[in-house]
Amino acid sequence: MIKIVFSLVVILFAAASLAAQQPSAPAPTQTPAVKAPAAPPVAPHTNLKVGQAAPDFTLPSTIVGADGRGVRYKLSDFKGKKNVVLAFYVFAFTGG
Amino acid sequence: MKAYQADIAKFEASDTQVFGVSADSVYANREFAKQNGITFPILSDFAKRSVVKDYGIFNEEGGYGNRATFVIDKDGIIQHIDEGSVAIDPAGAADACNILTHKKATP
Repeated sequence: MIKIVFSLVVILFAAASLAAQQPSAPAPTQTPAVKAPAAPPVAPHTNLKVGQAAPDFTLPSTIVGADGRGVRYKLSDFKGKKNVVLAFYVFAFTGG
Repeated sequence: MKAYQADIAKFEASDTQVFGVSADSVYANREFAKQNGITFPILSDFAKRSVVKDYGIFNEEGGYGNRATFVIDKDGIIQHIDEGSVAIDPAGAADACNILTHKKATP
């Protein structure tokens, strides 16, 4: 008896999920890429949280100093002076 | 990055330094800045990719990164994070900077 009920449930469930699949599968509407292409499907997420100290770094930049050499910026140099916005575009040429 | 450039005055008004950060070379970034009229510094995390890893937005296997924006206050504390497509719009970061400035202004 229990087996029959169980198999009925299984059949019903299978039918339901089949039915659920039927109307779906919408053709992915391909809008012509005017701006940036879609982001990668899986993107890493930051573990940092609001309220935590920002990891310090020193990095070379696009800015050229008066001496003709590239300027390097250190995050902690801005402590007590300015707020800092870091806009990460891991690859500038990919995705606008 | 162009959107940040468009809003650069807003950030400067709230005593904020904007940086772009990419894993491209300095030369590639200079070309990008030139083509897109970016005047704020773009930092190159090209050599070790340690910064994009520290900030948790680089996938080593896939070799790609997430878009993300961090707002850091004058104490070096993260005050605002935008990730993914939200990070394209600088409005959230601009608002956060504005709030920070007003917090400092009113004792």
